[in-house]
Amino acid sequence: MNTGLYPRIAYEGIKKNGRLYIPYFITCILMVAVFYITHFLGFSGILKDVPGGGTASGMLGLGAYIMAIFGTIFLFYTQSTLIKGRKKEFGLYSVLGMNKKNLGKIIFYETVMTWIVSLAGGLVAGIGLSKLAELGFTKMIAAPVNYDFRIYPGSVLMTILVYTGIFFLIWLNTIRQIKFSTPIELVQSEKAGEKPPRSNWFVGILGLVVLGAGYFIAIKIKQPLSALLWFFVAVILVIIGTYLILIAGSVIFCRLLQKNKKFYYKTEHFVSVSSMAYRMKRNGAGLASICILLTMILVMISSTSALFNNSEECLTARYPNEIGAFACKYGYDESLVDLSSRMDSLLKASAEEHGAEITDNKTYYVYSISGYLDNDNLQISLNSMSEMAFIDYDKVAQIQFLDMDLYNRVFGHDVQVAPGEAYVGTSSDIEIGDTITVGELTFDITGRFDELVDEIDPAAKIAVSPTVYIIVNDLEEVATHFTSYVDYDGSPMLAWFWYCRFDTGLEPEGQTALADTLSELMDKELAPLDFTNYYCDSHEAQRSDFVSTFGGLLFLGILLSLIFTVCCVLIIYYKQISEGFEDKSRFGIMQKVGMTRKDIKKSINSQMLTVFLIPIVFACVHLAVVLPIVHKLLMLFGLFDVPLLIKTACLCAAVCLLFYGTVYKITSNAYYKIVS
Amino acid sequence: MSLLEVTGLKKTYKTRFGGNSVEALKNVNFTVEKGEYVAIMGESGSGKTTLLNILAALDKATSGTVVLDGMDLGKIKDSKMAMFRRDNMGYVFQDFNLLDTFTLEDNIYLPLVLAGKKHEEMKDRLEKIAGPLGITDLLKKYPYEVSGGQKQRAAVARALITSPRIILADEPTGALDSKSSDELLDLFSKVNKMGQTILMVTHSTKAASHASRVMFIKDGVIFHQIYKGDSTDTQMYQKISDTLTLLAQGGDLK
Repeated sequence: MNTGLYPRIAYEGIKKNGRLYIPYFITCILMVAVFYITHFLGFSGILKDVPGGGTASGMLGLGAYIMAIFGTIFLFYTQSTLIKGRKKEFGLYSVLGMNKKNLGKIIFYETVMTWIVSLAGGLVAGIGLSKLAELGFTKMIAAPVNYDFRIYPGSVLMTILVYTGIFFLIWLNTIRQIKFSTPIELVQSEKAGEKPPRSNWFVGILGLVVLGAGYFIAIKIKQPLSALLWFFVAVILVIIGTYLILIAGSVIFCRLLQKNKKFYYKTEHFVSVSSMAYRMKRNGAGLASICILLTMILVMISSTSALFNNSEECLTARYPNEIGAFACKYGYDESLVDLSSRMDSLLKASAEEHGAEITDNKTYYVYSISGYLDNDNLQISLNSMSEMAFIDYDKVAQIQFLDMDLYNRVFGHDVQVAPGEAYVGTSSDIEIGDTITVGELTFDITGRFDELVDEIDPAAKIAVSPTVYIIVNDLEEVATHFTSYVDYDGSPMLAWFWYCRFDTGLEPEGQTALADTLSELMDKELAPLDFTNYYCDSHEAQRSDFVSTFGGLLFLGILLSLIFTVCCVLIIYYKQISEGFEDKSRFGIMQKVGMTRKDIKKSINSQMLTVFLIPIVFACVHLAVVLPIVHKLLMLFGLFDVPLLIKTACLCAAVCLLFYGTVYKITSNAYYKIVS
Repeated sequence: MSLLEVTGLKKTYKTRFGGNSVEALKNVNFTVEKGEYVAIMGESGSGKTTLLNILAALDKATSGTVVLDGMDLGKIKDSKMAMFRRDNMGYVFQDFNLLDTFTLEDNIYLPLVLAGKKHEEMKDRLEKIAGPLGITDLLKKYPYEVSGGQKQRAAVARALITSPRIILADEPTGALDSKSSDELLDLFSKVNKMGQTILMVTHSTKAASHASRVMFIKDGVIFHQIYKGDSTDTQMYQKISDTLTLLAQGGDLK
């Protein structure tokens, strides 16, 4: 046989089925491009210099492989619809005398052609778009723009490897489908009736339970640190639950609708409900994918834009004064009290140098120790942390001891506590009884004043674990009690924290310069003293840092959302087209039986509306439920403005709905064109 | 006035690029009276399916008129056509054309649902015809679960449920085995005795022998027709096959 025959047959086959193959090619190209971009951003290191870029590129690297898995599932799904439409053709070839091997060759050439087009198109698109993405990114974080084209060979290689693998699997799968059917089965495959799905109550209820568990976790989590841990559990449960519910639950739902005779036997519901019931089992997965993608888009966009909008508030919360300095040293040391007054003179020296007039000066120190809240009356046992296999982050707390006299002097209060008594304030709503026990020390609580947290350290409210402030009669005396506590690696658990913040009345440049001077002075003073951590920042210098971090995050959110949106649109389009071809003969019969074009249009609209509302409604419910846990996570970044988050989420949902509606309109037109 | 009057019907097919034209129907004239059971016979390519499609308003004639109960099919607007078909005609197809997404019951309800009838009324109507058609026990089943004969009976029920003026059947026994064919033909006779007008296109002599009148179509014209009169099915069968033999030999019956 002529060797050129098979490629020609394959080529003609693709050309003749252009309406199905063109969207398939576009899908493949985009999948490849998406993989390349995420891999490029994740592994090429271009995000390395961006603040927070390390975390972002780690997530994107993981995202690339998630996209690859997602792509595989999606391409398998589309490919199987494609091949379904072509089985008749293959059947005809085998009736005409081709054997399975010949058919395999045709399929091989087809797959190779798809492979070449997808990889070539995908890589070109990916490289082009990644440059655009990079430009957008640098613009967003106000970094210098670089117009060189950067191609990362590692990503190109990985893309080729992964997608060659995927196409190989697709080829095997197609061969498998052809191999196990006789020519006559192939010829008649289009006519073979499919069994309508029965309602599966078990799976439906399981789905509800799993989704409920996911929701429960999302609502129940109170502390940001445990949110980080449980967030992924909740996400996985919600994803599984969504799939189960849409696959089994939707069939049950349609069956229930069919039981309602008044509703079901209406022209506009009759056809749509029955055909939905019929194909939900298969399409439930598609709908669930759309729903998950929409949810991810909504969560990403609303959280990152809320962070971006909140960056100024966040900045003020963390740096309430123009200049803020901090130093920290582990262990107890009597000389530290003297150090505190030496630091005061450093402050005065640097202020004089820049001609600043220091106002609103809050300089103080505390002793801090981490503990584990054992039960409601705030027992704090210091040894347990290292011995526990599993740490419940909800119960970790930081205890900070303040000296009564120092507190009264700096903040202008008149708090009086006797030895053995304490005055307490907490950064989150922890229940406290009449006494508080820290290690082996017990204090009678004589007063509670949570507002003191705002005075002492406004940033404590956005810290990952709650802080308990205890004002004691004699700080030095209390601190000596804790010198013997050590961590699992032998380092002391007690730490000395020095805080300093003040306003200068200088211009922004002056503030930054003063911070730099103070920083240098602190370096000279503290470095020889074996300090673990110290810094001095100005509000102004932090602003650009905040903007770039949150801007970068927002950009990543937008980029990923765009990618997901494209995937989503393609799934919707593909679903419409393939269903349109399936429904064509069905609507033909209905027209013969007496269905008017108007009826058809009505029925299509009703079907589309229901099918398309399901994912977006589910996505919005998901968003509403995960918002609390997202809020807890965002607290790690410093967002605690709940109304802002809700407002942003609503706005995002509205925009998403609008866009989604447009896509729905366009695809329903394509569908209508096919069936009529 | 006859129920169905076909006058000077002509249908010309043009090839796609307008080159050759083929005359499927040249000049067809006939009438069908109310309560009649008419079979139209002819070989493949004789134009009988074209004729039926025009009668069912699924296709348009090149010239000539089809008048059903005083209504000229050619003058009905396209947008009203589907509705007209639904209200006045029942169509039984060779390959059943049942929708596999519906149970048999819902398949039968389809034309009524499209007409916006109430569920109670649909149920009443179905109860009346389900018994005689022998499908009462099958109503909750899906098309893929039942045999060809059962499917065709459901299709007949779907055609009957609107109480149409005429039932048009295109090779209704074409996809059935002989036992199912017999059952279906008996069913048609039964329905006809109840007063239902039936027009059936077939090339099966046996099917045609049940009809009260058989028309023969050849090369796009009605060539001959025979009435059953008082003859039995067997005698009718003989008459038809004699005519077919003559037709095949190129005999001229005019």
